Amino acid sequence: MADGPLAARPVSLVDLLDRVLAGGVVVAGEVTLCVADIELVQISLRLLLSSVSALTAGSPAAAARTDPEVQ
Amino acid sequence: MTGSQTVWLYAVTRGDADSSPPAVRGVAGEDVRVLTEGPLTAVVGSVDARRFGPDVLAGHLENLDWLATAARAHDAVVAAAAARGPVVPVRLATLFSSDDGVRELLRGRRGDFQSALAAVTGRAEWGVKAYVDPDSLADSLSAPDAATVPTGQSGAGSAYLMRRRAKLAARQSAQSAAGEWAQQIHARLRPLCAASRLHPAQDPRLTGRRDWMILNAAYLVDQDRTEPFHALVRQLTEWQAGLDVELTGPWPPYSFAVPEGAQPGERHG
Amino acid sequence: MDMRARIDADPEGVERSLVALVLTLVEALRQLMERQAVRRLDAGDLTDEQIERIGSTLMALEDRMTQLRDHFGLTADDLNLDLGPLGTLLPEA
Repeated sequence: MADGPLAARPVSLVDLLDRVLAGGVVVAGEVTLCVADIELVQISLRLLLSSVSALTAGSPAAAARTDPEVQ
Repeated sequence: MTGSQTVWLYAVTRGDADSSPPAVRGVAGEDVRVLTEGPLTAVVGSVDARRFGPDVLAGHLENLDWLATAARAHDAVVAAAAARGPVVPVRLATLFSSDDGVRELLRGRRGDFQSALAAVTGRAEWGVKAYVDPDSLADSLSAPDAATVPTGQSGAGSAYLMRRRAKLAARQSAQSAAGEWAQQIHARLRPLCAASRLHPAQDPRLTGRRDWMILNAAYLVDQDRTEPFHALVRQLTEWQAGLDVELTGPWPPYSFAVPEGAQPGERHG
Repeated sequence: MDMRARIDADPEGVERSLVALVLTLVEALRQLMERQAVRRLDAGDLTDEQIERIGSTLMALEDRMTQLRDHFGLTADDLNLDLGPLGTLLPEA
């Protein structure tokens, strides 16, 4: 598996959120997103359309390199 | 390890893969590390429990900026792991109170993870989305004489109603044609793939596109079939006027982490 | 902020939202009536006179809607209601 392309592809936020929120394996951690939470997120996404500044392409690798610190 | 740390799980890989952790930072800026348990390795990060507890997390999920940042960071870790070998990506926001919890998961779900890893080995996920412009489609479908007024009627009102009928009928035909096209695109791509998943169309208010999304699919493609797959997608882009086909990827296999038929919301074990 | 305070603070904005809401409902009814008329037309149970009358009424209604929208500076896209999980009231585009 080539590591260059995977690390550097630009992705749209909508495509990314579809995958990380509705894809990936679901396991019984102590805290996990369940189906109801995902519906909540999808409804909230519509409500938050005003903060659409985030809806631009961004390289995940670049984001990780700069400042991945969350809140 | 202090009591205020919880463990964020990013992905599961083979135990025999490169055993050093991917050189990338996680959702909380933490150093990513690995836990090996038998034939499996979990890619994890320790995060502050106060910022990632259940109530706090629920609040964060409603904040698009937080969500976007977390999603990008999570994906960056998964992608870094995927660069080194087959991975099973884990859904965003899967946390454990300790490493032991993760190890227990690897022991308890060993078979599932091994099958999933085997299914994605040497393969990548590619996304294909197709859009049609409903107006150009309706135009090309509607009969030239659609606004014919039957004999006996010559008024402006009748003509108007005929035009409206033709427009509604054209829209209907456009919708069936679009559905047909989507089926054909999918049928042509499937033989080149190890697996495929059809996803719901994306909300147009999120994509910002006014045309119709008629296909939103994920395809799991062998490394050595990537070129023919891409060539076919390029061909399909030219296939019909008013049809737009978009390729995204390569992605870690998010859409193929769960076997087909299993409900994504099911908790296993 | 209660309703009165909000209206006092931005009377034009509130008026515009209320107008948009009313026009959205009128537009929904117009589309429903149009579909019904076309169905009856296809079914063949309208006389020529009825076709002309219904067609003229719908045409006049569409013109009036356009005038009202223009008067209040609203586009066709402005007239829609988000019903959350049920989608939107009117079909998009």
